[in-house]
Amino acid sequence: MARYALRRLMAEYKQLTVNPPEGIIAGPMNEENFFEWEALITGPEDTPFEGGVFPAKLQFPSDYPLSPPKMQFTCEMFHPNIYPDGRVCISILHSPGDDPTGYESSSERWSPVQSVEKILLSVVSMLAEPNDESAANLDAAKMWRDDRQQFNQIAQKLVRHTLGLQ
Amino acid sequence: MQTKMRALLFALGSFLLTSAVVGHAYYQRKQFYPSVVFITKSNPSMAVMYTQGFVLVLLVGKLMRKLFFGQLHAAEFEHLIERSWYAVTETCLAFTVFRDDFSPKFVALFTLLLFLKSFHWLAEDRVDFMERSPVITWVFHLRILCKILVQKFLRKIHLIPRVILSALLTLLGALDYLFVNSAYHSTLSKGPSVQLVFGFEYAILLTITTNISIKYILHTIDIESENPWEAKAVYLLHTELIVGFLKVVLYGLFMLIMARIHTFPLFAIRPMYLTTRAFKRALQDVIMSRRAIRNMNHLYPDVTPEELANSDSTCIICREEMTSGAKRLPCNHIFHTLCLRSWFQRQQTCPTCRLDVLQTAQPQAPPRPPPPAANNAQADARPAPPPAQPMGHRPFHMPHVWMPAAPRQGNAGDASSDSTAGASASSSSTQAGPIPMMPPPFAFSFPAHGFPFPPPPPFFPPPPISVPLPPANFEGMTREELEALVGVEEENIRNRIRCLRNIQCFLDAAVLQMHQYSTATGRHIFTSNDEPTLPNFEGLLKNLQEEARKVDKEPEGAAGFSPPQAPEEIPEEDKEAAELRKLRLQRFSPNDDSAK
Ligand SMILES: [Zn+2]
Ligand SMILES: [Zn+2]
Repeated sequence: MARYALRRLMAEYKQLTVNPPEGIIAGPMNEENFFEWEALITGPEDTPFEGGVFPAKLQFPSDYPLSPPKMQFTCEMFHPNIYPDGRVCISILHSPGDDPTGYESSSERWSPVQSVEKILLSVVSMLAEPNDESAANLDAAKMWRDDRQQFNQIAQKLVRHTLGLQ
Repeated sequence: MQTKMRALLFALGSFLLTSAVVGHAYYQRKQFYPSVVFITKSNPSMAVMYTQGFVLVLLVGKLMRKLFFGQLHAAEFEHLIERSWYAVTETCLAFTVFRDDFSPKFVALFTLLLFLKSFHWLAEDRVDFMERSPVITWVFHLRILCKILVQKFLRKIHLIPRVILSALLTLLGALDYLFVNSAYHSTLSKGPSVQLVFGFEYAILLTITTNISIKYILHTIDIESENPWEAKAVYLLHTELIVGFLKVVLYGLFMLIMARIHTFPLFAIRPMYLTTRAFKRALQDVIMSRRAIRNMNHLYPDVTPEELANSDSTCIICREEMTSGAKRLPCNHIFHTLCLRSWFQRQQTCPTCRLDVLQTAQPQAPPRPPPPAANNAQADARPAPPPAQPMGHRPFHMPHVWMPAAPRQGNAGDASSDSTAGASASSSSTQAGPIPMMPPPFAFSFPAHGFPFPPPPPFFPPPPISVPLPPANFEGMTREELEALVGVEEENIRNRIRCLRNIQCFLDAAVLQMHQYSTATGRHIFTSNDEPTLPNFEGLLKNLQEEARKVDKEPEGAAGFSPPQAPEEIPEEDKEAAELRKLRLQRFSPNDDSAK
């Protein structure tokens, strides 16, 4: 099983290196363990996260791609769909059957069609358009809904933080 | 680092205090026995001794952990903390039932239990981890160092942790067995006491050890074998099922005994509930996956190597080229048989379009118009299609550019070309529209209904019964209610099995009818020359899709995700980011070479 996962991860890694999507870099942390990746995600333009470079780590299960990886930002984040500890909560990272929020229908869940690239692109679009229906960080969701200006300020602060400008 | 220092200081201080206390006592009394009496009589001395005992226990635990597991992974540590938290809370609850038995011996036994438990958890995590790490290091070392001698040496090195792990598993099993045994005898000779709880806990631990050992053996066989061992997942599923059953039985027995002798064991409810749920899920998984794999083997057509060679055929599950050994699902999606098999052990849906294969299990014949006469006769008798899956829906988070829309459109096309006579309004609209901006929702029609065969019997088994979940912490539920709950769960499982059997009956009947139908009309069908329309149609759809993407992307660039941009255009203040990325890319490039 793990061999399958390894081969597919290698294929995806190769694909990501040869043909990287704009604004995203990802790869294994070290060559000893292909099941732990780190990724850098640039904040999408025209959003409060614009200009930021957000590091995250991905943890792949040994039965990848049958089960989804876990993703966690390793920098400070403030976003409705990111837990305060950095874990990302979006539907394609959940397999049908485990539903932490109860708002996701199974058609948006993990399946082997998804890939690291698609996950990261989903995360980019999640940064651009939070989904406050299934909030992982209630404070952020509330602020995003009620006080967008303050939310944007916090996001801008985080951006400067990730660039080491503080 | 700081906590480590503090722990070290604490341990050192405790040792110093203990030696001071002992030295003082010996200085006062000059002899061994009186000194002991002196220490036990003085409360401060006893406090120091207890602290020392605690420190010693921790140190021993640390030593054992180092010995058996080496450095813990961060995830393992997190897991350990979380589970210990529950274990401590539940045992404290158990204490309230046995508060009369409370004694230092009791505390010692509890500490021991907690230690053994944590070793079980660690062993479990480690065995799960083992499934991947040795393989990877081998693969890489084999690649980098190509000398046979070095390979052999490395093999030996990597065997060491495994020897330790098996030793640990044996040890844990033996300890569990011993404790269960002693608890059993103590209960028999002295009547029920707190030993009952311990005996039961160790019995549960014994099942866990068994489970881990089986997993461990399976992983070892898998790692040792040169070819991927596909039966492993099946064995794993069944192990889970049997162990789950054993656990449910154990918990049930324990609850019964406890309820008769003392009071209802509140502290066992959470684990009992979790176990029942896990068992239910395992049972469901086994049944559903068996059904799906059966369908796959018997109903879905093999794709010939020629067909595979003609089309661009990458298996979406493993991302590798398919040359042989592929199956076609009713939705026309093609996968490796082996990949599909392991996926069906998780979920019984098409990985690409999420078609529920258990609900639409009829095979998909190559698209062709049904004989007109039969078609007319059957057109009215055709049953209403089952409720469509919410496949056309878009995920909340994903802008549609990134959606794997291609297969779905292909689908809608197949479905509409397939059922020319009885095509639904929605699927014919796909053909009419010049540029579909997005796949039409619910354009999916179930292929099985595209060609005529006698309608299924009026009774179609209901979808699996959804079980109402009990309140999370079982507050406000009486014992009777809980017992009733357990009964209801069992009843539900039984109902489900019955329901699935019904489905199987219907499916078999349907297949029989299909066979009869195809033998009767086979010659007519295979001489019809509609086959080549399929690739043409798919090509057309692909073109349309390309255009749709272009159209979609243009407004997207203005408002949504950043449009493609050359790296040189990065603004001044993003220099750090650019630097980071450059570094990152540099770091990756040598890795990439070694990965190839
Ligand atoms: Zn495959
Ligand atoms: Zn499909």
